[in-house]
Amino acid sequence: MSKCKFENLIDGYLLNKLSERDREAFEEHYFNCSSCFQKLQERDIILRTIKNHPELLTEEKAEARKPLLVTLRKELAAWFTPRQLALAGITAALFLIIIFALVPRNQAPGPNFSLTDEETVRGSSITLISPVIDMNQIPSSFEWKKLGENVEYQISIFNHELLWKGTTKENRIVLPQEVKAKMIPGEKYSWQVKAFAPDGTLIAVSSRVQFKIAAQ
Amino acid sequence: MKPKRIEEDIQELTTRYRPIISFRVRKALGVQNTDCDDLVAEILSQVLEKIKTGEFRGESSLGTFVYTITSRRIVDYIREKTKVMKYAPEPLPYPDPQETLEAKEMSEKVQKALSRLKPRYREVLYLYYYQELSRDEVAQKLGVSSRKVSELVNYALKLIRKELKV
Repeated sequence: MSKCKFENLIDGYLLNKLSERDREAFEEHYFNCSSCFQKLQERDIILRTIKNHPELLTEEKAEARKPLLVTLRKELAAWFTPRQLALAGITAALFLIIIFALVPRNQAPGPNFSLTDEETVRGSSITLISPVIDMNQIPSSFEWKKLGENVEYQISIFNHELLWKGTTKENRIVLPQEVKAKMIPGEKYSWQVKAFAPDGTLIAVSSRVQFKIAAQ
Repeated sequence: MKPKRIEEDIQELTTRYRPIISFRVRKALGVQNTDCDDLVAEILSQVLEKIKTGEFRGESSLGTFVYTITSRRIVDYIREKTKVMKYAPEPLPYPDPQETLEAKEMSEKVQKALSRLKPRYREVLYLYYYQELSRDEVAQKLGVSSRKVSELVNYALKLIRKELKV
């Protein structure tokens, strides 16, 4: 469709802005020029649609209606080329990996929280191995899972109150005879292990496990 | 153009000029005017009659000939109505495109395209077509050159036309 010099009069004609002379000249022209008439018809529909639906041009809803991600993507696309966008994405991913994966490993173990001497513990825990179920006889040793090197463990044995407390750097402790002598078959006991770093910081606490010694 | 040749092309002439005559008549009288169809049919038969009787001698183009008959008939119609009604019927300036199914469908596509336009195109269309500001006035309001306004309007129209072709 070739460009016709009368095309510039289409808007003026539809908006009734042409002089009488130009209007008549244009009217005569579109009776002769099918290209201009086609454009005139099209522009007429566009103009009348705008006149009857100005809200489509003034309200922000057209933007708001779009999902946030679509809008964000379009905004980003306006600022960056796809290549820059991909680069920014990779950089952000690497940054997140450094923050969340590598940094915590280089830090000292996080603090552990023991609210009371009861079982409420937040942070790393110590797994107790034995005794964790009812025993036929008084246990001679207590064993738990090792946490690491240079850790000092403090073991506490309770009946209704603290019966005995001992420390070791191993993950096992043999119960002294005098303590064993205090334990009575048929009674319930519980035990707990706490782990300390060389500087004396509490780094882990086990849950408090109960066991019963069978009555003879 | 010889009468014999025109006889053969009557159908083609009707197909070509009916929409143009109709557009001109509706623009002058308003799309809601119920006399429009009758007037268009009357103009077309007048054109064909004049061609048959040799009144069209090819001194001007056929388009100009049809235009002249159309314009005269519109003036006559308004004159007749003015006599009867005291005032000529005032057409609605910009009626919603609902007159034909095709116009309605096109308008729906335009609406869709308008809502998809970027804010700066919507703004320029609003000022230029809805508020009917001149290109210079729009340019002043937006702080751009008049040429830039033309570019923005033309590009927005291009985007809308793209939607119309879908």
